[in-house]
Amino acid sequence: MSGGIDYSPADVVIIGAGASGAAAAWNLTETRMRIVCLEQGGWMNPAEYPSTGRDWEARSQSDFAINPNRRQLKSDYPVNDDDCPIKIANFNGVGGGTILYAGHYPRFHPSDFRVASLDGVADDWPIDYATLEPYYAENDRITGVSGLAGDPAYPAKQPLMPPLPLGRSGQKVAQGFDAMGWHWWPSDTAIATTPYNGRDKCINLGFCLHGCAQGAKASTDITYWPEAIRAGVELRTWCRVKEIAVDDDTGMACGVSYYDEQGEEQFQPAHIVIMACNGVGTPRILLNSRSERFPDGLANTSGLVGTHLMLHPYASIYGVFDEELDGYRGPHDALWSQEFYETDVSRGFVRGFTYEFNRGRGPVATALTGAFSGRIPWGEGHHDAYRALFNRICGMVAICEDLPEAHNTVTLDPVLRDAHGIPAPKMTYTLSDNSRAMLDFAVERASEVLQAVGAQDLMVESPLSIGGWHLMGTARMGNDPGNSVVNAWGRAHDVRNLFVVDGSLFVTSAGVNPTRTIQSLALYVTDQMKKRLTNLFDAP
Amino acid sequence: MTRTIATDHPFSPDEQAQIARLARLMVPASAVHGVPAADDALILADILHTARSDEVRVRAALEFAGGLGVPLEAAVPRLQGAVEMLPLVVVVMQCYYRDDRVMQALGMEARPPFPQGFEVPQGDWSLLEAVQRRGRIWRDA
Repeated sequence: MSGGIDYSPADVVIIGAGASGAAAAWNLTETRMRIVCLEQGGWMNPAEYPSTGRDWEARSQSDFAINPNRRQLKSDYPVNDDDCPIKIANFNGVGGGTILYAGHYPRFHPSDFRVASLDGVADDWPIDYATLEPYYAENDRITGVSGLAGDPAYPAKQPLMPPLPLGRSGQKVAQGFDAMGWHWWPSDTAIATTPYNGRDKCINLGFCLHGCAQGAKASTDITYWPEAIRAGVELRTWCRVKEIAVDDDTGMACGVSYYDEQGEEQFQPAHIVIMACNGVGTPRILLNSRSERFPDGLANTSGLVGTHLMLHPYASIYGVFDEELDGYRGPHDALWSQEFYETDVSRGFVRGFTYEFNRGRGPVATALTGAFSGRIPWGEGHHDAYRALFNRICGMVAICEDLPEAHNTVTLDPVLRDAHGIPAPKMTYTLSDNSRAMLDFAVERASEVLQAVGAQDLMVESPLSIGGWHLMGTARMGNDPGNSVVNAWGRAHDVRNLFVVDGSLFVTSAGVNPTRTIQSLALYVTDQMKKRLTNLFDAP
Repeated sequence: MTRTIATDHPFSPDEQAQIARLARLMVPASAVHGVPAADDALILADILHTARSDEVRVRAALEFAGGLGVPLEAAVPRLQGAVEMLPLVVVVMQCYYRDDRVMQALGMEARPPFPQGFEVPQGDWSLLEAVQRRGRIWRDA
């Protein structure tokens, strides 16, 4: 015990308190093991979220920016994304990316786990939809999912709360999809539409991407973590992990070195280490954990740690309408379309994408959109041009399945370091021809939807340069140690007490937001650990 | 928020005057719409305060605008599309469109979103009937 911190060996150390780390910690509490979670940021204070102040839009470009290189908070580390056309978006702190996500909360489909078998590309997952289904359901219960049963794009599932309102904007876009004869459905969202488990219902603040002051959006600091902490998990904040130590005799992880809030290096011994830092943070730590036994980084004898980075290329397609729509009011997540989700090679690409409705934008964002695109001039014409856009923009983004390619990587930058001197990650990524074809197709079809209901002016960005929210595939799971980093239940092939529970696990990316699947995987992996407690470290 | 001690300001008086001129060129007053210009005293004070947090990039924008060799008024066609001006444009728009008078002229309440929130109508859910009639579209695996 030192300074109130117990540095005696923990049964489990979890690195990262975001979407997956929270779920993993909660699910392991019934084992009565001593669980310590190390988080490089602190707790959020919802009373300080941007939507509580008059400068709510401005703060989306400063302390609540989605890009850590812009945000530069004490909790952040730099990421070199110069060689990546899609810039990183993440958040560091208790809750992780769920603080800033939109709460758009789709599941994967059965076909997403069988990409190679069905479409002859990439690899199949070592698990299937049926394996994950009970974990989806359990995660839904903790998170609180709103939506509408009966979506013809999915196997049956039962949302726990009614869907978010369509509003004027959602109705407009829904009419567009109906006019084309295409699928749409109310989105599954991690936003409470009724009081749920101590959280109040959504009041349409409309600024979900920068923290929900109402607490309606299910970030893990207000869902999993309170329950996990009540059950005895120790969540240690402001702890930036430097490396995982390995016993060179046994090849097992033996603890974690980290810098505490005072900048002092500490060592937390552990019998089990769980990585929960997602697709950039996890390979960064593994690659920084070099030893005599693992000179190329921990769990990396395959050379695959950090490879196969997937990002979900986005296209944004908005229309400008004559009539007033929702504008700044309400969450974006009202509906999705999966008309083009399943493979049809006649479209010129394999796999597919989801359209996610986007409701509108605030007064400052409208001004900047207009100014940067040349639609709003300086001078006399400013006000009329502004009013032609204000509350009259809505549309959608296309979130495209990104196929895994070994040359898309997270490596260690040879120069860039964080505030503690730890080598920073570098993302290297090339947009594939398949993704480009998919993006082009998505833009064309979305334009048809919006024009069908009267959009005269279209605003398109493809790929969306700011859209690196989804960081996946860099410690992929699989049965073959030569083609994967962890096995079918999340244990590193090389290190029998090292587990991964975050988006790094993904074999393929699907064409949907990953958080619901990440959290369900975290429950699945930790359930596998619980079932194997007596022989957890046995050889395969 | 706007109680800045003039002598403590990172921008010189000349730079502050240039910011004011550029702000007015971007967003002039409008009697028709009942809104002030962006160099209105309250808005300008907010702009000058906010610009402090992006001092280097805003100063670069000022240097770009001042370096064109023509009066600012004549330079507007070149300035309004110039990427070099973006940091200043961002600051001006952020401050202008959170001013009480401007928000009210747009029909908004001059308040942050929380805690009152906003009303969003449910919309017409009967639009789903066409989708329901099509039936399942997901693949077995």
